[in-house]
Order: sequence, then structure tokens, then C-alpha cells
Amino acid sequence: MQKLNFLLKAYFSILFLSDCKAGIVLLALSFLLPSVGTLGLVAIFSSIIFAEIISVRDEYLKHGFYLYNSLLVGMGVGYYFDITLSTIILTAILASLTFLFTFALNRIFLKYSIPILSIPFSFVAMIFYLASLKYTNLLSNILHRKPLFDISLPLEPFFKSIGTIFFLPYTISGLVITLLLLLYSRILFLMAILGFGVGVAVHTIFVPFCDAVNSPYNFNFILIAMSLGGIFLIANVRNYLIAMIAVAMSAVLIDSMEVFLNTYSLPVYTMPFNIITILFLMLTVAIGYKYYNYNPKETPEKSLNAFLSSIYRFGGNDIKINLPFIGEWSVYQSFNDKWTHKGPWRYAYDFVVRKNGKTYKDEGHFLEDYYAFGKDITAPINGYVVDIRSDLPDNFIGNVDRVNNWGNYIIIYSNYGYYVEISHLMQNSVTVNIGDYLQVGQIIAKCGNSGYSPEPHIHIQVQKYAVLGSETIPFKFIDYIHNNRLNYYKLPKTGEDIKATTVDKATQLHLTFILDDKFKFIDNRDKEYTLTVKMNDIGEFYFCDGVNKLFFYLDNKLFYFYEYQGSESYLKELFKIAPKIPLTGQEVEYEDTLPIDLRYNKIKSSLMEFIISFNYKLFNKKEIYKKDKLKITSKYGELSFCFYEKGFNSISGKNFTLKRINEENSLNR
Amino acid sequence: MKYQKPTINRVDFALASKYGSPLKSQKIKSSIDGVSVNELTKEYGSPLFVFSQRAIEEKYNELHEAFSSRYPDVQFWWSYKTNYLDAICQVFHNLGSKAEVVSEFEYQKARRLGIEGKDIIFNGPYKQKEFLKQAALEGAKIHIDHLYEINDLEDVADEIGQEIKVAIRCNMDTGIYPQWSRFGFNIDNGEAYEAIKRIYEGKKLILTGLHSHIGTFMLNANAYGQETKKLIELKNRVEEEFGYNIEYIDIGGGFASKSRLKGVYQAPEVIVPSADEYAEAITNAIFEHNKGNLPKLFLETGRALIDEAGYLLSSVFASKRMPDGKKSYIIDAGVNLLYTSFWYNFDIMLDKRYEGINEPSQINGPLCMNIDIIAENIMLPPLDRESVLTIWPAGAYSVTQAMQFIRYKPSIVLIDKESKVHLIKDADDLEYIVEKEHMPEVLK
Repeated sequence: MQKLNFLLKAYFSILFLSDCKAGIVLLALSFLLPSVGTLGLVAIFSSIIFAEIISVRDEYLKHGFYLYNSLLVGMGVGYYFDITLSTIILTAILASLTFLFTFALNRIFLKYSIPILSIPFSFVAMIFYLASLKYTNLLSNILHRKPLFDISLPLEPFFKSIGTIFFLPYTISGLVITLLLLLYSRILFLMAILGFGVGVAVHTIFVPFCDAVNSPYNFNFILIAMSLGGIFLIANVRNYLIAMIAVAMSAVLIDSMEVFLNTYSLPVYTMPFNIITILFLMLTVAIGYKYYNYNPKETPEKSLNAFLSSIYRFGGNDIKINLPFIGEWSVYQSFNDKWTHKGPWRYAYDFVVRKNGKTYKDEGHFLEDYYAFGKDITAPINGYVVDIRSDLPDNFIGNVDRVNNWGNYIIIYSNYGYYVEISHLMQNSVTVNIGDYLQVGQIIAKCGNSGYSPEPHIHIQVQKYAVLGSETIPFKFIDYIHNNRLNYYKLPKTGEDIKATTVDKATQLHLTFILDDKFKFIDNRDKEYTLTVKMNDIGEFYFCDGVNKLFFYLDNKLFYFYEYQGSESYLKELFKIAPKIPLTGQEVEYEDTLPIDLRYNKIKSSLMEFIISFNYKLFNKKEIYKKDKLKITSKYGELSFCFYEKGFNSISGKNFTLKRINEENSLNR
Repeated sequence: MKYQKPTINRVDFALASKYGSPLKSQKIKSSIDGVSVNELTKEYGSPLFVFSQRAIEEKYNELHEAFSSRYPDVQFWWSYKTNYLDAICQVFHNLGSKAEVVSEFEYQKARRLGIEGKDIIFNGPYKQKEFLKQAALEGAKIHIDHLYEINDLEDVADEIGQEIKVAIRCNMDTGIYPQWSRFGFNIDNGEAYEAIKRIYEGKKLILTGLHSHIGTFMLNANAYGQETKKLIELKNRVEEEFGYNIEYIDIGGGFASKSRLKGVYQAPEVIVPSADEYAEAITNAIFEHNKGNLPKLFLETGRALIDEAGYLLSSVFASKRMPDGKKSYIIDAGVNLLYTSFWYNFDIMLDKRYEGINEPSQINGPLCMNIDIIAENIMLPPLDRESVLTIWPAGAYSVTQAMQFIRYKPSIVLIDKESKVHLIKDADDLEYIVEKEHMPEVLK
């Protein structure tokens, strides 16, 4: 079965899909022209055999492009020649050559993190064309090639064009492929139609309409639109526009290549698609375009869902740090604020401790009167200490040190490539040394009044370099509590009182799942329901009830579910009831946004996923969750823990209740 | 300004700033929670103990949050001996604290406040049999201090015909000095284990808790980590060997407040560990060493919760110049009210800014005793008669240990969260003090 998968992968990968059933349909479809179907298979098998002989199995197993480039070459041969021994041999040779080309090109493209698409096919197709001019003994079927059957429909040029991708320029094949696209991805479907339409329209400006609409190379429009409008870039209006600009460019490129290559009897095929798409990807990868699809999923819809989840649920790719203190503090200055957070140093925060509106008790004449003075400062990130100063005295109230602005400080280097600087620490209070590796939450110093500090406070910033006073860069706080609301990946405003979260290790233990942990539940219909902890081959952990899978992750401060695969089940409800579980012991409310497929039924969610590509805000529908000591409640239901046991004690939703029944996974066993 | 006898002082130079002169060496506290100290003494007399409900609740919430955010089942037990005024206890009970008592008197006081037996921890080295029986019947958590008590409790168990759930108090070396080894059974030399074995073999008592109290005013959070570790290791061992289910461990109290212990150079803000440091050390040790079920965590914090919420207001009665040139003030509160002044330095704050420069002064109490000194060396500006001094922190032990000696004990007020003042104890009067006295007929 798995071997069959690799075979089918070659077929569905051409359409940017990833489902075996689509592969089966396409494989069957290719036999519409038996020579195309047969030689296609011959090509796949010969490149597998070739790869096996020189034992590079891993390569073609890992990457789909090895086999689909060979497949395209084989189908290309089949489109021109009948099946004979000599064409089979020719196909085998060309397919192996394709493998070599693919390998070599991939070596180069890998450096730029750019896919090679079907460039190897384009090259080998040229070789095949030129060589076949001499092979007059091969039987060409070009004159009497007809599909096994065909139908006639309006929009014939579109269907033919999309069929050409598989060397099957017929209405019936085009229709099947179009329906496949529609079934798997509305975004790809839209792009196919839009790409074709825009391409033909642009082309019509320069050539007569009937030439434009019947051009054999129009499938390039479709491929470009699909790859840029949803596959390599995240689906949204801006990228749809980019895709259409690319399509317009390709209309001219196709013509120029046609004129040039045909002079030498060379085919154009997918060359324009490859060139245009790769040019765009070069640009977007190099500038770090924020809508580049760094984490491609099976369909554009799923990629979009994952992308929006990462933004709205997990704060996207921004720099995220923890609060550098314990307990409740108040924001004195935030980004770009009125006193000192300006210019290159605008991305910084100042914190003081305020009670009843004042930062000090009595008259505030002494350092000790200030609530912040002497409070613990904790490490905001994991990382190495790169610089420290701790010898400066704490100023009297009202005095500032204008020479050593930053006062006593610590600079920590994060493995993600930035530096965090904390200032105005108490004299001789730093408890760590240069070179120490800090863990988040570790106490590292005390708040003081050194440097340019009129009253005890701390200053924190994220900066580009290890040098004191270097330019600051924007960041967000991973979490903080404001008015009992736990906020994730946000920035508090000036004057707000915010509280740091503390990790409740018991909750952490409740949620530390180990492979093959089993949790048995009984539902309200007295049926047993068992959840098992499993891991897939890329190291993702999930709960499995036998059929459905719910993926989870345990972070330093947060347990969360991020993906669900399967149909309606208790597991899906579990995701909805508690998509995030903060590891804090504090009783708080927090917000989260459920992925689209969790919110609606299958049909509605497939529609919504498409609509959301036009307006991301529709995704951001926040639900409120409430965490009590051993309980999470939301409008979807309630999840409870048992003090002594690992895992969930009970899960109850709209019309079901699951209760834990055995005690195999005791907390400490 | 009145005439003051001239003195010679070293002059300090410092720059002025927008906050005024840095020579702000006058500590001023003109009001407590918005209520003027002068009005308080005018209304309720001087001296006067003042408690701030706001400060109590802030401190309680801070400590409770520090523990409950790190550990799922934490219970605070208000240490009655620290301050057993009804109103103060009630503030703590309203916050969710239960009661920890060390004598039959405190036990009865807690019961009188409506605290059920099961919500009382009965501690201490001196528990008479009749009160043990009452406590056992009412389901109090009895913490055994010595082997005699095991015998006594077994007798009680026979008498009432049921098994009694008990805990034992342990002591140990946690790396601090002095080591409190007077109470309970020593873990390090195996005494605690032997005591538990004795309890097990007696078959009349059921061990459900382990308790320890390593000292008071502990400035080292790690000592608590050590304590917890040793308790948890003992718990693991007795659960495994005797099959007991240890429901809770009680790590006692002793967290330092911001009082300045005499002989300690650094300011309390610098050396006193924060609530989070204590909580981190204790909960980490449980998670690191515990096997089997997690125990409930009990705390008997007293001083850290109440000390900073209590003030003693006192008025200057007279002043004089002593032969060595030092200024001496006589105020109306002495060591009779501030027993703890023998080992703590207090912050002494003025009710307003006074003219004149600071000079070395001494503050004496009203007692006709040479030892009645509240502050031996303090820099004060010339104070007026009736100037009100605020002595702080004075919430822990000062009320319970105050002596009726030479003078009457003063009134006590509580300022609630709306800054309303409530009288919670009247000043003593002659009637009250002589109430229990008897004059033998022959003397009349």
C-alpha cells in the first residue's frame, strides 16, 4: 500500500494535491490515451529502478518531484509515440536522465530554499524533442491519437487547456481534473479559472481572441495562478493579485519562448510556468515576505488555516518574551512613549509597582518606600548571559546618574538571534554570571534605582546586538494577566497593572503525556472510550481514539491543541472545549480562536475557508475560556482534572459527558 | 519656633533636586490608610494600636497567590499566638484562613469565633489530656510533640472508642542557626521515624500529616526547601512502609517580615526573601521529591501576614538633654507594649515635617525602668510635646505579648478598606484589671 502511495504521489503532486484517491483518479484518467498512461507508468518504474540501482532510495521517497518529473516525461513520450519496445526503452532512458537532472538541479535550488517544480521535465522534454527528430522508425500516433471517449461541453478551451497538464487535451479529462480541484480546494479551483481567464484576456490585447483562447500553452496560466495564489504563497487577496500579475507576465513570456524555441523545434511546455513562478519565489523568499507559505499543508485551505492559527492563536513569528518579574507591576512607559522610549530605543518597556495609585508608601523620600525597590527580577527568555554590570549605586530619590544611563544591567542572548537587556538593577543584586545559561523565570537580580532612573523601576528591551544601548526591535510579551484576563502575545498599555503568570507544576504534571499513556472514559451511554497518546513520524504527539487524531503540544507555560484529523468525535469536542490550557495555577479568563474546521460542519467550513482568504478578520472569532483551579469552562463545555491523576478527569460537552474510569496513569507513576 | 539649646553636628552636603533636598532624613507618616494619625490619637487616646485591614488583605493575597499559583491545594492556618484579637482573626477567617492554636485557651478562643474543630490545628508542647479529648472529639488536627502525647492520645482513643487522626511535629537540620530542635521529633537521627513506628504499633492513632516549623524570621528561602525535602522524604518512607496516606504536610511559618532584626546590617528590602522565593523553594521541593499522591500543603504563617499591618501610635510626653548631649524623649508607649523591641529595630515615623536639623536622640518609654528604651540611637529633629510618633511594624506578637505593667493596656482600632475606623478593643481600666482579684477578709 505504501509503495502504491509513492506511485500515486507522482500523479496528484502535479496538481499540488496530496490525496491518494485523487492519484487513483488521475492514474485511471491517463489511460484515456493508453500510450500516455502506459509510458507514464513505465517512466515512474524506470526512475525507481534507476534510483534503486545507485541506491538513493531516500531521495525519491522524500521528495515527490523526482517521480512526477519522470512521469511527465513518460506521458510526453506517450503523447507522441505508440507503445513499442523502442518507445519503452526510450522512455526508460529519458526517465532515468530526468532523475539525474532532478537530483542535480535540486542541489542548486536547495541553497535558495526554492522548489524545482517541473524544470527537469522541461529540459528532458527538449532533449527528447531534438533526439526524436532523428528517430524516424518510431511510430508516431500524432495523426490518429484520440481519447477512448470524449464529451462536448461549453468552455471547451478551458477544459482542454487544463487537460494538457497531463497530456490529455480533451474536454472529458479537463472536466475530471477541474472537478478534482473543486473537490479538494476551492481556492485552487478559483485560481485555475481566474488564471486562465486573466491570461487569455491579457493575451487578447496583443493577438486575436481565437488565437489567445486556443493557445496550447494556456495551461501555464493555470499552473502559475495555482502555485502563487495558494500553494507557495498564503491564499489572500494580495497574493491573488500577485498571481494574476505573474499570469499577465507569462502571457508575454510564452509568446517569446514559443517564437524562439519553435525555431529550433523545441517545445515550450511548462517552461514559462517554471521561470515565472521561480522568479516570484526567489523574491518572496529573499525578502522574507510575510505571506510566504513556510509551512505548507495538504491544501491551500489547510495552509491558510494553519497560518491564521499561528497568527491569531500563537502570535505569529514575532519575537516573544516573558515578563521579567513575578507578581503585579504597572506599565510606566511602553513602546514609543513620552519620556525616554524614542527613536532607536522606542521598543522598550518600563515597569513600576503601584498600589492604590502610588508607587511608594508614606512620603516616598526613601528608596525603601518604593514598592518596586528590591523586588525580584526574573529571566524573560532562555539564553546565555553576555554582559553584566552591577557595581553602580542606587540613586537617592530625585537624583539620576547621567553618565551611566543604563545603570546596572544584564544582557541575555536568545538562541533565536536577539538580545534582551534589563536595566536599573539594584547594586550588587545580580546573582548570575556572564556565560550562565538562564531558564525563564529564574531569579537573576533585584529591582533598583541605578542609572538614569528617578525612582526604582525596571527597563526591558529587545535589541539587535550585544552592545549596551544598541538599537531596539519590536517584541511581544508571551502572556500577562490584566484584570483577571490572561492575554497572550500582546503588549500592555501605559498605566495598566499587569500580573505575571506562574507555572503550576501540578497542572504541568497533569498534562505531561508519555507515549502509549492510555486514558479510559465512560460516556453517558455507558460506552467505553479510550484515548491513547501516540507520536507520528515527524515527532508530533497526538491523542488517538482509534480513528481520529488530536495533535497537542506542551510548551513552558501552555498546553494546546493545534490540529484535528478525523470526523465528528469526542476528541473534536475536546479541542473545542479547551484549545489552550494555561499551566498557571491562577484563576483567569482567556481568549482563543478555534481553527475554521473546528467551528463549522464539513460543508460550511470548506466554504468559510474559501471566503476567509478574502478577509482574514472573519477568522478572528474569539471565544472566552475560564480556568479555575482544576477546571476549564467555555461555551462548548467543561474539562476537569483530578488533583491526584494525570490527564483529564471528565470532559463534558453539549450533550455528552465522559468520565475517567481507571487509575492506571497516576501522577507520579 | 521655640528656643532650642544649640548642638554641634557634622554637616552633610548633597545636591538639591526637583524632589527637594536629599537631606530628607525625616521619615514621615501623617496618616494610615487615609486617616490622620493625630486624629486617631485624639479620638482613641494615646498610645494606640492601629491595624489596617487593607494591608492585611494585600499581604495575605500576595502570599496566597504566590503559593496557590504554584501548587494546587494550599491552605493557610492563622497562627493565633501571633495576634488573637477577635477582629483580626475574623479578618483572616473571612479571607479563607483556618486556625492554628497552641493552647487550650487559643483553642477555646477559636471555637468561640465559630471555627469548627476540623478547621483547627492543635499544636504545641503542652496539651492536657482533657483538652486533647475535646479536640479529638471535635475532629481537630492534633500535631503530636512528644512521646508522652502519643500515650495520652492512645488513652483518649480508648476512652472515646475511636481511632484518632494525628500528625507529628518534626524537627531537623536545614542548614540554619539556631536549629529549632526543642519541638517534635528529630528526622535526622531517626527519632521521627521511630515515633511513627510507635504510633503504627499502637494501632489507635492514624498518621495523616507531617508538620515542622524550622524557626522564626527565616531569611533564607532555601531552608524551607530543605525542610520540605526532608518532610517529603519521610512521607514517602512512611507511606511505603506503613501504608499510611499522608494527606498533608504542614511546613509551619516563620517567613520574615520587613522588621529590622537588630544586628542585621542590610535593609529588609534587600535581604528579606519575597513570598515568591519562599513559595518557589517549597513547591519545587515537593514536586522534586514526592512519590505517590501529592499532599495538601499547609502553612501557618503569622508574622509575615500581620506584622506590617500593625502600627503603634505614641505621643511625645517630654524631652530632656542627657549628660552626653544626646536628646532624650519620653513617649507614652514603652517595652510594656513593644516587648519585641528587645530584638527588633522599628521604623519610627513623624506625623509631620519638623523644623531644625537632625540630632542623635533616644526614645524612652513611660515606665520607671532603666530598660524601657524604644530606640537607642535615632536621628530626629527637635520634636514638640504631643508630637505623634508611628512605630512600625508592630502587628505581630506585640498585642499578644503586651504586658499590663505599670500602665493600662491601650485601645486597639482597625481601619477597614473604606478607611473607616473601628474600635476593636477598649483600653483597660481599673475595674477590668482588678476584676479577678480577691481581698482576703482577714486583711480588711
